[in-house]
Order: sequence, then C-alpha cells, then structure tokens
Amino acid sequence: MSYTLRGRAETRLAALLPVLLAACVLAAVLHRWWPVELVALMAAVGLALDLEVWHRLLPYQPAWASVPLGALELGVLMTIVYAFGLHAPLWPAIALFGAGWLASVVLAQAGFPFLRLGYAEDGGELGRVGGLAAVAIVLALAGSAATYVVRLPPVVHLSTGTHLGPLVITKREVLQGEPGAVVRGGIVVAHDDVEIKNVTVVGGANGITVDGVRGTVLDGVTVQGARLDGIHVRNAGVIVRDCTVDMLGNRLGQGIDISFNIGEGMSMVEGCTIVGGMVGITTHSSMAEIVDNRVSRTTGQAISVAEMSMGSAMDNQIRDALGVGLNCDDQSMCMFEHNTVVDTRPDRASGDPTRRGIGVLASFYSEADLWENRLAGNPVPTGAVTSSMLRTTPRTDW
Amino acid sequence: MPRVAIVGSGLAGFIVYQTLRRVLEPSEIAVFGTDADPAAALRVRAAAIRQREMRSESDGHCLPTAFPGLAFSSVRRRRSLRPLLDSALDRYHPTVEEFLSHVERLRERSGWDDSFIEGRVERVRAADGGFDLERGRFRHVLLAPGHPGLNVPGELREDPRAVHSYEPHDYAPTVTIVGAGLAAATEWLNALAAGAEVVSVRRREPLRSPLNVPRQYFSRRGLAGFHRLPARERVERLRTLSAPSYPAGDRWDEPLERARAEGRFRVEASLNGSAQVICATGFLSGYRHDPLLARLCAEHELETAEDWLVLDPDSTVPGLTDPSRTLSLAGAPAQWAFPAADTLAGARYAAHGFLRRIEQCRTR
Repeated sequence: MSYTLRGRAETRLAALLPVLLAACVLAAVLHRWWPVELVALMAAVGLALDLEVWHRLLPYQPAWASVPLGALELGVLMTIVYAFGLHAPLWPAIALFGAGWLASVVLAQAGFPFLRLGYAEDGGELGRVGGLAAVAIVLALAGSAATYVVRLPPVVHLSTGTHLGPLVITKREVLQGEPGAVVRGGIVVAHDDVEIKNVTVVGGANGITVDGVRGTVLDGVTVQGARLDGIHVRNAGVIVRDCTVDMLGNRLGQGIDISFNIGEGMSMVEGCTIVGGMVGITTHSSMAEIVDNRVSRTTGQAISVAEMSMGSAMDNQIRDALGVGLNCDDQSMCMFEHNTVVDTRPDRASGDPTRRGIGVLASFYSEADLWENRLAGNPVPTGAVTSSMLRTTPRTDW
Repeated sequence: MPRVAIVGSGLAGFIVYQTLRRVLEPSEIAVFGTDADPAAALRVRAAAIRQREMRSESDGHCLPTAFPGLAFSSVRRRRSLRPLLDSALDRYHPTVEEFLSHVERLRERSGWDDSFIEGRVERVRAADGGFDLERGRFRHVLLAPGHPGLNVPGELREDPRAVHSYEPHDYAPTVTIVGAGLAAATEWLNALAAGAEVVSVRRREPLRSPLNVPRQYFSRRGLAGFHRLPARERVERLRTLSAPSYPAGDRWDEPLERARAEGRFRVEASLNGSAQVICATGFLSGYRHDPLLARLCAEHELETAEDWLVLDPDSTVPGLTDPSRTLSLAGAPAQWAFPAADTLAGARYAAHGFLRRIEQCRTR
C-alpha cells in the first residue's frame, strides 16, 4: 500500500477507534485511567511517527512491514510510559497495544479495502469516515480527559497548626498539609483513593491507619510518637513516598507494617526514613516493593518480608538493627538488591542463634535472591535456616 | 433500454461491469464486444507465451474492492496460509489457471452474459444527454477497447521467420527474441527450455521491477503528483514508465546464467541468422491505432498529447463529461489518468471513477 499522509492518519485513527472504546470500557471496569492514557499515547506516538518518519521513509509499505513497525512503536510507547511514570502495568499494556496493532492490521489489510471501494487507490484515505473517526477519537479522548478532571478528588487544605485527632477520612480527597500542619492523635483512612500530603502526625494508637481501602497515597508524611505502629496498613494497597517515621522509644511497634494485602496488588514504600521501633518496615502476606529507604536503630529486623509475602527490597540503607538487618521469613519469596546493611548488632539477650547480628537472613522455607548488596560490620553477613535458600552473588571488592 | 454502456468485453470492461453491478442490475448495463468470454484474449496470449503465473499480485483480480484478493480465496482452496504469507511479502502471484477460474466464477454469478451484446462499436458520438452508439443512446459510456493490435517492428513485418510472442508458436533450434519486457523474458526461458539457442535483441537493458509501474503510481500518493504534471512532462513520464521490465529473482536469472555459461544465450545488437524471430514487443500504443478512439478524437476535437488522449484524473473525457453524462476510458488508452491503466488495478481505478460519476448523476 502506498499511503498518502492523510491516508495514514485516517487509517490509523479509524483503526484505533474500536481499541479506544475498549479502553474506555476497561477503564470503567478497572477504575483506572491507564487504558485510556495508553490509547491516547498510542495515537500520539503513531501519528507523530506517521508524520515525521513513516511517510518520508516508506513511499510503499508492504504488509509485512506492519510487524517491525509495530514492534518499534511498542518500544517507543513503553519507553514513554516508563519515562513519564504512567501507571500502566506491563503485560496488560502490551496486551492492549497488541490488540490495537492487530485491529489496525486486520482493518488496513482487509476491513477497509473490503468496505471502501477505492481504499487502495486513495492511499488509505477514508473520506468522510476518516474525518468522523478523527472527530470521534478527539471527542472520546476529550470526554475521558473531562471525566478525569471532574473526578479528581477535592483538595482539603489542612492549615498550619495542631489539629486534634484522630482524624477519620471518610471520603475521596487529597488532604494537603500546609507547612507546620500537625494532627495529634492519628489519622484513619476509611475511603478509597485518599491522598495525604505533607502532614505531620503525632501520637495516636497507630500514626496512620489504612484498613480495607484502595488507592491510598501517603506522600511526605511525618509520624512521631505512635503507641503501636507508625503506618499501619491492613487489606489495602498503598503507596508511601518520602515519609519520616520516628519510633524511638517504642520497642514493640513497627515503623511501617503492611499486612494481608496480597489481593490488593503491589504496594510501595519509597524514600522513607525510619528510626527506632521493633521492625522498621515489615510486610505479611503482601506484595510490596521497598525502595531507597533509610532504616536504623530498630530493636528487631530493619526490614522484614514475612509470612508468604512476595517482595523486593532495593537500594535501602540499613544501619544498627538488632539481631537481623534484612529478613526474608516464613515461606516468603524475596529479592534483595543493592542494599547496604551495616553494623547489625547481635541480640545476645534473646539467646536466639538466628539473631546473632546477621546482615541478611532467610528463614523458614523462604527463598531470597541477593544481588550486589553491601554488607559490612555485621557479625554474620548472611544466613539461611530452616529449609530456606539464599542465592547470593557476592562482589569481592566490598 | 439500458442507460449505461461498456464498449469492450475484455478484462477491463469486465472489471468495470463488476463494479457497476454494485448499484446496477444486468438489465441496466449493456456490454458491447466481439467475444462473450472476457478472458478470451488473455487465454490466447498466456497460452502463446506459456505463461503460468500472473505478474499481478493478490489484488490483481476483477472484484470491485481490493479485498478479498486472490490470495485470500487461494487460502480456502489450497487449505494453507502460505498464499497470505506470500501476499504479505509481495511474493504471491496467482496462477493463470486460478485467475481464469476466478473470471469464470464472476462471469457466471454477475449476469455478464445477460448484459453482453455481440457486435463491434465503430463510432461514439456525443448527443443531447448522452452518447449515440450504433445500438442506441446511452447516458453513461465507458470505452474499454483494449490494445489496438500487436506491435511488430516494421522491418520484421514481411520477414517469414517472424512471429509475435502472443501468437501461437513453437521454437526453432535457433531463436532471436526481440524485446526486453516480461514477455521477452518469458520467451527466453521458454526457448531455452525447448532446447533452443537464444539471442536476445534489445535496444536497452531491461529494468527489473516487480510490477510494470512503481507501486506508488497505483495510489493517490504517486498519482497526485503525476496529475499535476504539465502535459509535456506527463508524456515524458509515461514514456519512462513504459520502459520494458520484468521481475528480479533467481527464477529468471539462474536459467539465463546457466545458458549463458553453456553458450546458449547471448545478447546482440541486431538480428542475425536465427531460424526464428520472436517479437516480444508488446502492443501498438496510442489512440491513433484504435479506429474508434481516433474517430472519436477527430469528430469531437478532443485534446491529445502525442500518443495519449488527455483525460481527467478520474479517467473521464473532459469536454464530453458533465453532470448529466459520462464518457470514460478504461484499459490501455486511459494511461493519461492512471499510468498502469492496462493492469487489472488500472481497470478498477477507471471503474471506480465511472461509478462515482454515475452515482452523482441524478437522472442516471
């Protein structure tokens, strides 16, 4: 087929229309925007390549070229998805792209040439149908964008000063703390899609409790003086970013405890600083990524992936934990990469040989993959007990 | 009386007929020709040069839309996806037999024979609200007269050794083949396979290309620029595009190389003493060689450019086409609108333009 420029654009947009409709349905079912964002990006990438590259390079485009061109467009698309942090899961995103690609191939090679008398000789132009397709795409994307904007949660500003808690959030909102905004007595998140930003929480049974809700984001929160856990998550998917949790003086509470969220997808703890407490960050029966955190002076493990959890800990700095630095426990599957674990102290008082200052430990039928972790000043660098396995790739220069 | 007439019952007229059948009944279309079999000429010519495969690809068929092509129907017949794969790689060429079967099936189911009227049309005259043919007045007429005749170089017309490649023939022990296009290449291989010693006489080295015209000239991408060319440049372009060519590939090269090594194939500048001379020199070209077109031009003072009748981009004759009537050309004489007009895709292009005109005519 020798496409005209207009023919390329019209064919692409018309072929994308059913995919966009499917993405809208998918977005409505999943309550997520990534399908629509992805199709919008597919349209943008495709049209840009059509205008700037394909039309110039390909005066004639044989049918087989759909395969390499599709692969290249997928590469560009996924690069943008990851570079700009669009929250599209990899395989569903590839599946959606694949469906779009297949639809475009079938329509361009068979559907349009069958339905439109002069499709081939018109260079892929679709006449009024092409214009309508373009309008429909724009309307669908504009409608989606408008829906997105309308559905954005309201922003509630928490003024500077101390507010008496516990503060229970029962509707979808962004709680935005002004500088110096403090909640005394804890926060309870009791609704889906709540975001808490730049708020300091002092005291409370738990500093922040997230229980049985989805889509919670804790961004830049500070927790101090919680009686039990700093951030306490149950049956909920969360993203915790750039937090500070001060658990000094609390020997039994956990800094961040994410438990029983295996059905809620992947949770994330990133960029947090945790001091004190029994375990700095712990997961139970959960899937979690624990990345780029600083954990120190705990009275137990610094980071523990436990109780049939699946998780990765990467680029964390662990210092001065008691007994064990990085722990993979109780039938869990762990991946530990590029962590620094130093100065783990032996817990002699416990008399427990598995707490004799081990940098990285796998215990009770667990499997941990280690890759380029830096272990220093730990009485025992690594250990695996009770039918557990460590797969280690040590670096000799450390 | 039908309001629409097709003059010419060859493949071009047949494709136009299939396209018109989307909106017209057989009783509304008159097809004038000398043979009810639209593939009659192809049968004779393909048999003469022992052609087994069409040069055209999957979309070289007689249906009004590009899809489904012959590769698609071949999948069902052969119970294999290979034809589709070959088509995706631009390597699918239907066999002549497959193509002829396809024509036969379409002929049966389209009502072609109901519309066919035997008889040669000698003259077309513009009249009020249409065109007068010998058999009546028609509002919309498409002329598909085909090639005006076989082209035999002047110096060979009286040579008893000479035969045109499209005329039935066998091969002598020494054969000179004049020409450099697909027919010539086919004849080289045929004669070599028959054990002959072959001399190729040609004015220029043949081009190697899959189709007889670059692919972009089959769509608006190449046609838009072509249609914008001033007459003189368009004539030059058509001459360039008419240069003989045949597809690249070992299928052609390997037997020739082997024969060359054996001393059985060589290229020479002029005729020698071969026992047989085969003129693979194609067809006469130019409207002047066709009595119907020559008369039409002369009587209506139509615009021409050297050998070509000047046409509008949709293959209609300017000056004789208006909202109330249409005179259109298909096949070889329509090159002014579509450089590959003498291909199946070219006939389809003219058919689409003709149908659009008919549909736009309120009193069709």
